This record gives sequence, structure tokens and C-alpha cells, in this order.
Amino acid sequence: MRDFLELSVSAAASGCIYGLVALAYLLMIRPTGIINFAVGEWAMVGAFGGFLFLSRIELPYPVGMATVLGFMLLVGWATERIAVRPLVERGAPLLAPILALLGMLVVFRESISLGFGPDPHQVPEPFGFEHHKTWIIAAVIVVFAAVWLFFEKTTTGKAFEAVSLNRKAAALMGINLSRVTAASFAGGAAAAGLAGLLVAPNVSAHYLMGVPLAIQGFTALVIGGVGRVEGALLGGLLVAFAEQLTVRYAPLPAGYAQGVPLLLLMVFLLVRPTGLLRARA
Amino acid sequence: MRKVFAVALALFASSVFSQETIKIGVITDKVGPAKPYSEPTLEGIQFGASEINRAGGVLGRKVELLIEDDQGRPDISATMARKLVDAGAVFILSITLTPATQQQQNVTLEAKTPQMTPMNSGDTLTTQLANPYFWQTGPLGSVQIATLLSHARSKQLKRVALISDNSDLGQLLARFFRKGLEASKIEVVTEEVVPRGATSAEPQMQKIRAANPDAMFMAGVLTPENVLILRAYRQMGLKFPIHSSYNLSVPQYMSVAKGLLNGITFVDAYDPEKPEVKKFEADYRKATGKLPYNIHGYGYDGIRMVAEAIKRAGSSDKEKIRAAMQSLTYSGVMGARGMKYVFPEGKRTGFDPNGMVVRVYEGDKQGRVIHVGQK
Repeated sequence: MRDFLELSVSAAASGCIYGLVALAYLLMIRPTGIINFAVGEWAMVGAFGGFLFLSRIELPYPVGMATVLGFMLLVGWATERIAVRPLVERGAPLLAPILALLGMLVVFRESISLGFGPDPHQVPEPFGFEHHKTWIIAAVIVVFAAVWLFFEKTTTGKAFEAVSLNRKAAALMGINLSRVTAASFAGGAAAAGLAGLLVAPNVSAHYLMGVPLAIQGFTALVIGGVGRVEGALLGGLLVAFAEQLTVRYAPLPAGYAQGVPLLLLMVFLLVRPTGLLRARA
Repeated sequence: MRKVFAVALALFASSVFSQETIKIGVITDKVGPAKPYSEPTLEGIQFGASEINRAGGVLGRKVELLIEDDQGRPDISATMARKLVDAGAVFILSITLTPATQQQQNVTLEAKTPQMTPMNSGDTLTTQLANPYFWQTGPLGSVQIATLLSHARSKQLKRVALISDNSDLGQLLARFFRKGLEASKIEVVTEEVVPRGATSAEPQMQKIRAANPDAMFMAGVLTPENVLILRAYRQMGLKFPIHSSYNLSVPQYMSVAKGLLNGITFVDAYDPEKPEVKKFEADYRKATGKLPYNIHGYGYDGIRMVAEAIKRAGSSDKEKIRAAMQSLTYSGVMGARGMKYVFPEGKRTGFDPNGMVVRVYEGDKQGRVIHVGQK
């Protein structure tokens, strides 16, 4: 029983990280239809932001965290301006910005690798390592509650929903599509950056940390469903629990359990491609 | 006419200049998974080359490094080796991943070009291919486990746990560890793997706790995954001792695993109290402003050995260099005090099997040597 309780907290913390990355995907996919696989690299940039502002400059944690999030908003906005908007304005097919963003993935990774070197860097926790999982869970619940309220209760949030339902109709209703797209990328980058900042004390900030997070987040998104914010969190938690319970309890040889999330991904793509939670009508 | 003459003169001059250098190829990984090891090794090679050149070079000629990046990819590594052979390299140093170094050997064997890896630890590099032009001077994975086991024997271990990551090298080392433990009649009660990119190692550590081992051996080579293991170990309040592969000798642990390291023993090829190490560290710091660490030493010893072999060969003829390299005896920065690299005929792994040391973390600092060799 002790093992199960310990594992539940550990899996919940990991699931929250995956959920945040899934949220980053979702914030961009909903209004634009663009799958941005560079979210993992955004998480990596967020982790290095934590190293820079919290470890090297030694800002107080709330100030450092706010600085990282502000910087990530800028990164997302700039990415949209550089890699997405020019293609959309020229009427390029949807695949074009997806490929351009894959190119940005390499740009982010190599820039960090050149700027900070290949070695991992330490990022501090705000409340010590014994309480870090609790902090991750609390912070992610607050973020998801805020995003849910934004979409459900604010006019701007409803404008996002309108764009995701029908871009042309939303434009005819006077909604500024460019602004919504830019804001969705900025929000996605902030969510991914926060995931990186939260996970970095566990795994340190290193330039290869992005791709695994992008894969776990994408799996969580497919399982939870693209249609609803809470689906991202649900998917993240399911992936993490499946991962960690399999390692602990399944009678599989060491190393085999890591294939379980991919198996889940394939099952959902085949059986329920809309994910567990469907979008509201 | 004057212009033609000037161009011809310039071409002639550049040709004479290029003949004056001794070209040594280096295949490194600048972007792939070996980068954290390749980069400091390359810095050690570059420092060694500049030191050699400042002292007049080899055979009165400057050493010129031709550096190629294979991204740690075996599929392009052989092409890089071919490029270096074509560019006139008389020796190739490989400081990339073990499988990539293996691929390069197909070229160096065919082109009869001496090749050495000063940092790869895979045991199979000199056994898979009978390549008399290839040498390995880093300590083998099997030597690491034998040294750790020699230290562990005094602890009367009966049942141990083994944990690693899922990288190629991590899995290779885990196999060596398991083989060595079983040969020593020590039971491996559980073997766990933390995959690359994991965000928790608690399930694996719970299984190890349930198996109640006398000690845990860490064979992983990925720093973030090893940090996860150490966090789970401390968080769960586990008390069994940890014995680690050389990966914990990388100084980055002192910052990324702060507060998690005290009492952990690790195998290393670097004794900070050795006079050669003290001189190397002082000279490197003076030249670059940075303090080197063990991995820089691998590169430094590598280029110094290559230069010594060329000097003893008395020419840049590759066959003569091969013969000189095979008969070389060299005392360098790496290894326990008094250790010498030797290559008895037919043997191409130069690191003395008794040349490794076991050190212990004292607080967050890499502390004293507590054991030497396999005796």
C-alpha cells in the first residue's frame, strides 16, 4: 500500500507535466489546426530560463518564474511571426507551417546547445526536493483551472472557441484571426515553458530533454482528446499512471515497460481517435 | 604573366606549407548524444596539440588537427573517416560513440591508417574486427566493473541490485556489470532500466527496495536519468550503499545532484593527487582559464600518445607509425599513480587493467581515492 501511495503522487506529478505539454499542443491546434512538435524544445527553453534566472542570476523564485513565463510568451509570439504567419498569409497548405516548426525545433535545440554547452544544468526547486512533486501538482491544477475559466467565462476565450469551430465564420463576426493565432502560440509556449521549468529540478536542464517531453505530451493529447482543456490533463495522468504502474507491477523484463505509452497511443489512434473527451457540440 | 607567376608561387607555397604539417584527423560528435563527452575530450586534444606545437611540433613539423563531426551516427562516421584519409591524415582519433568508432574501422583497416579512441569504453571495439591499425586507450567497461567489484569484495556483498538507462552504452555497461557480478558469485536480485526522458525513477527504486539488496550498482551513463535515480534514493530514505560506473566521475554531478551524493562510491581513471594530473590542471588552467577534469585528460593523453608514436616512428609513414604505436609505453595523466599505457604484441587495449581507482563523494565533492586496481 505504501508503494502504491508513493507511486500515485509520483505519477500524478509526472502526469501533470505531460498534461501541460499536451495543453501547449492543444492551445495551438484548436484555433489553427497546426501540430507544433517544437513544444518539447519550448519546454527545454523554459528549463534553461529557470537555470539562467534562478540558478545563475539567482532571482527570487516568483520573480524568476514570472520572468521565464514572460520570456516564453515572447518566444511563442515570435515563433508564430517568423515560422507560421508568412506561410499562412501566402496561402501555403497546413503541412507547410508544421514542417517549418520542425525546422524551428532544430534551431531551438542547437541555439541552446551552443549557448549553454552540452552539460546538464541545475535548476532549483522553490520548496526543497521533498515537496517538489506537491508543488508541481498544485501549480498545474491552478494553470488548468485558469485556462478552463478563460475559455468558459471570458469573451476572449469564447473568441478562441469560435475560431476553432469555424475560422471563416469567426472572421466574418469580426474576430481578429491573426491576433488569436499569435496569442495561441504565445500561450502554448508559456504552458510548455512552465512544464520545462517544473520538471527541470528533477532531470536538470539539458539540450536533449525536449523530444521525450514532446512525445509524452502528444500521447497525452491523443488519449485525452483535442477538444477539451481538461482532456489534456486527463491524458497526461493516464499516460504517467500507465507508465509507472507497469514498471512497478507488470511482470515484464526491465526496459519493456517503456513501450506501454506508445501501445496506448496506437490503441487510441485505432479505436478512439477523438480521445476520451470529445469537444462539446 | 606576372599574375600567373604570382598564382603559381602562391600555390607552390601553400603546397610546401601543407607538407610541413602532420595531419591528425579527429572524428567527434558535436550535436549528438556523445557531445557531453566528446566536447571536453576534443578540448583536451586541442590543448595537447597546442602544447606540442609550442614545443616545436613533431619531427620538426607542426601538428594540424582535421576535425570532422559525425553527429554520433555510425551511418556517416565511416564517410568521415574516408574524408580524413583522403585529406592526408596519418592518424585518426575517434571521440564519438562506440558504434560509430566501430564503423570507422572498416575504413582505417582498408586504408591502413592508424586509428585510436582515447575515450570509448566498449569492450568489443578491439575484438569484433582484427584491425592491427586500431587501438583503444580508455578503460574498458569490464575493467570498471572489475575494479568496482574488487572494492566491493571487501564489503562481503551477496545480493545486489543493478540499475542502468536504455542508452546503447548504458545497456552495454549493464551487461558487463551483470556478467562480472555473476562471475564473482554475487546474485543480481533485480535489474532495472530508467528510460531516456523519464520524469521519475520511483517505480524502479521501489522494486529495488522490495528486493532488499546489500548494495546497488549504477551502470547508466545518462546524467539526467542518474539524477532521477539519486533523487528517488534519497526521497525514499534508502540506506544500502551505491557503487557507480565512471559516469558519476563527471563533475557536473556536483551541481546537478547537489545534496544527493554523499557516500556514493564511483570508479574513475583520474587521481587528483597524482603529480601528472596536478601539472596538467595547472598548465591547462594557465592556457585556457578553465579547470579541466577527467574527460579532458583522455583527449590530452590521446594526442600525446599519437605524437609520441610519430616521433618514435621517425617519419609520417603510416606503417612505421603503426609499428611504433604497437610498441609504445606511455605514462600520462589518466590512471592510478605510476600507471603506464602498454600495448603488448597482439593486444590493442592500452589502459592497464589495474589502473583504475575507486573514489568516494564527500558531501557534494568528489573525494579521495579509496581503492586502486583489481587486487
